[in-house]
Amino acid sequence: MGAAVDHVTPMGMSGGSAEGNDKSEGQRFSCKSKLTALVADNGGVCRAIQTALLRSYGVDTEAVETGEAAVELIASGATFNLIIIEMLLPFMNGPETAKQIRAMGAESKILGITAFFDERDQQEFLAAGADDFIEKPLSPEIVIPIIRELDN
Amino acid sequence: MESDLLREQISNMRQSLFVEEILEYQFLQLEQLQDNENPNFLQEIMTLYFRESPKTIAIIDQALEEHFNFPGLYKYLHQLKGSSASIGANKVTKEINQALECFKEGDIQGCKGAVQRLKQEHNILRNRLQSYFQLLRQIKIC
Repeated sequence: MGAAVDHVTPMGMSGGSAEGNDKSEGQRFSCKSKLTALVADNGGVCRAIQTALLRSYGVDTEAVETGEAAVELIASGATFNLIIIEMLLPFMNGPETAKQIRAMGAESKILGITAFFDERDQQEFLAAGADDFIEKPLSPEIVIPIIRELDN
Repeated sequence: MESDLLREQISNMRQSLFVEEILEYQFLQLEQLQDNENPNFLQEIMTLYFRESPKTIAIIDQALEEHFNFPGLYKYLHQLKGSSASIGANKVTKEINQALECFKEGDIQGCKGAVQRLKQEHNILRNRLQSYFQLLRQIKIC
């Protein structure tokens, strides 16, 4: 079943690692400036992974489970360079959360994130003030360009 | 040496998870997040996933039996897809996608079939990862 491989190579990859923190090669991407991020995701696994990924690049990251908690945090004066918001948050959904965050004057880069990409959800999120909308999982290929942009 | 044999066993086991497409690239990303500050990150994430996902699957299963048009069904499929894709559970994610497609088309039998396959793949993933992590723990002891 399948082809034998000499070492574990991800399916579809010819070898080597994608850009990221490949410790085996001694390379480590890290942001130059002090960047901050907020992850709003009601899924424990996703929240933990997204937070760990951002922190691995030197981004000071907080995480909350609900849109209300995200709004409350920002209303209290916290500022973030990047805010990642899950589409289907309970009660206050992702777009509504983004809308309220923008209404408070936050200029953070807002990334809407979802498990199932849907164009209507994308339109709703962007109309609410998100800068981009992606499908999970959050990967280095997506995060690193964002961090570089924020760093500059 | 015993540890060499163990390492070879671990390597083969890990390799097979990718060759059989049970896991995909995202799993490697999680491995790379493990470091001296988070030495057990991967296992913690997997523990969390296998704590949360069975509950979600049970809700989906029950919802399909009782009320196909259950409004929360999409929400739970969404949540399960998010976590499964985020850990690199390739076959589990594919069946969730299939279940969703059937749900959108109103194909209850198709959806039920996909959920049954999803449960099987989820069990396979859990058993294979349990064995894998058990070997990893042994190599740490050696």
